[in-house]
Amino acid sequence: MEDMLEDTVLVNLRINGKLHELEIPAHKSLLDLLRDDLNLTGTHMGCMTGHCGACTVSIDGRVAKSCITLAATLGRAKITTIEGLTEDDGTLSPIQQAFWDEAGFQCAFCAPGMLMCTAELLEDNSDPSDEEIETALAGNLCRCTGYQSIRRAVKAAADKKNKSTREATE
Amino acid sequence: MSLYPAFARPRDLGQAAEIMGSLSTGAMIIAGGQELMPSVNYGALMPEVYIDVGQIAALKGITEEDGGIQIGSSTVHRDVQDSEVIKSKLPLLSYAATQIGGGMQVHNRGTIGGNIVAMHPLYDILPSLLALGAEVDVLKGEGEARVALADLMKDASHGLGSESLLVRIHLKPMTPSAGWSYEKLKITAGGYGSANAAAIVTLDGDKITGLRVVVGAVSALPVDMSDALGGCRGQAWSEHLAEEIEEKASAEVTDPLSDHQGDGDWRRAMAGVMARRAVETAVSKAG
Repeated sequence: MEDMLEDTVLVNLRINGKLHELEIPAHKSLLDLLRDDLNLTGTHMGCMTGHCGACTVSIDGRVAKSCITLAATLGRAKITTIEGLTEDDGTLSPIQQAFWDEAGFQCAFCAPGMLMCTAELLEDNSDPSDEEIETALAGNLCRCTGYQSIRRAVKAAADKKNKSTREATE
Repeated sequence: MSLYPAFARPRDLGQAAEIMGSLSTGAMIIAGGQELMPSVNYGALMPEVYIDVGQIAALKGITEEDGGIQIGSSTVHRDVQDSEVIKSKLPLLSYAATQIGGGMQVHNRGTIGGNIVAMHPLYDILPSLLALGAEVDVLKGEGEARVALADLMKDASHGLGSESLLVRIHLKPMTPSAGWSYEKLKITAGGYGSANAAAIVTLDGDKITGLRVVVGAVSALPVDMSDALGGCRGQAWSEHLAEEIEEKASAEVTDPLSDHQGDGDWRRAMAGVMARRAVETAVSKAG
């Protein structure tokens, strides 16, 4: 059975559209891989226990906490980090712009989690209620805003997204 | 053994059993990692080998067979919540899966099997599964054995043992007329409960004919109070019955947890309150 054990693991990850073939040690978290190896420091290291949500990224279209995701288990996956929300020319996405306009962050340490969860929420739900917003963001802690401006930002993001979808179809 | 852990990716259950049998207790199974990784990050656990069972198809998905429902142990909470089969035939479980802490991120990666084998007193799935009378298939060596989940839950420190793998969960559909409830007393939206209770009630007219109540988060393991509250059968809901349930449920908690979620006396009191609320809501939904 010893031949089934690997000291390093090969993974193929498409991160923000770019393909990375990486040989990584078995114990490496996705958070360390993103921040230390790929210099994608927009994903933040907070609690390391899965409580705070600052390390949130999207894996195959579903948000996950990268500090408690073992990178070796991913094999082939499509990953989007907060850097991936921005257009190539640096233009903010409607969600990012809405958080900016509504002061949806102060120190912004929690922003990766708030923004990535908002992105996933608005994929399936173009007009979320307060309760739906709270459920979607329940895995993220913010110690600055008191959450009210974040809820406003999510609603503004939904409006912006709906408006740009309407304009695109007209 | 290297200073750093090794990694194994069994492709099927046979390989998984072979690997588990050949390694020492330092090998740990990882699926979603939502229970294991926080413990690793804080140095509480140091696996020598990670056995990644995430690629094994037999552990995934929800099926209906022979009038029962089977859930693969590495099915994530999000899929349990969203499954039409679970929503219509096991609404208690579907709802309980939405109440798991850690938010959408954890629901997307955490697995129902991980939630069970963690045997964490504050986790949300066990009370409902026990109330539903779940059975589980456990793989050890060559063979799979089917056992009642309640029988595995007799010893909080033992669990399945390092050579065993939880394969799937077997459930019977709920009676369509049954009322159900999962009540969780919590401080924040994504947080742990300080007490929780799952209840399933069947009525004949306004009289309770069947009652299952399991209370969690108040002691090392969930407490099945269905027998202790058996006196409710034949009675209609009343304020008097509510008081009786609360009193008896509290008395069933003989060794309460006392931690940052609240001290022992309060937890025992809240066990009664959650049991009462769960039965009241279940009665109001039954019919």
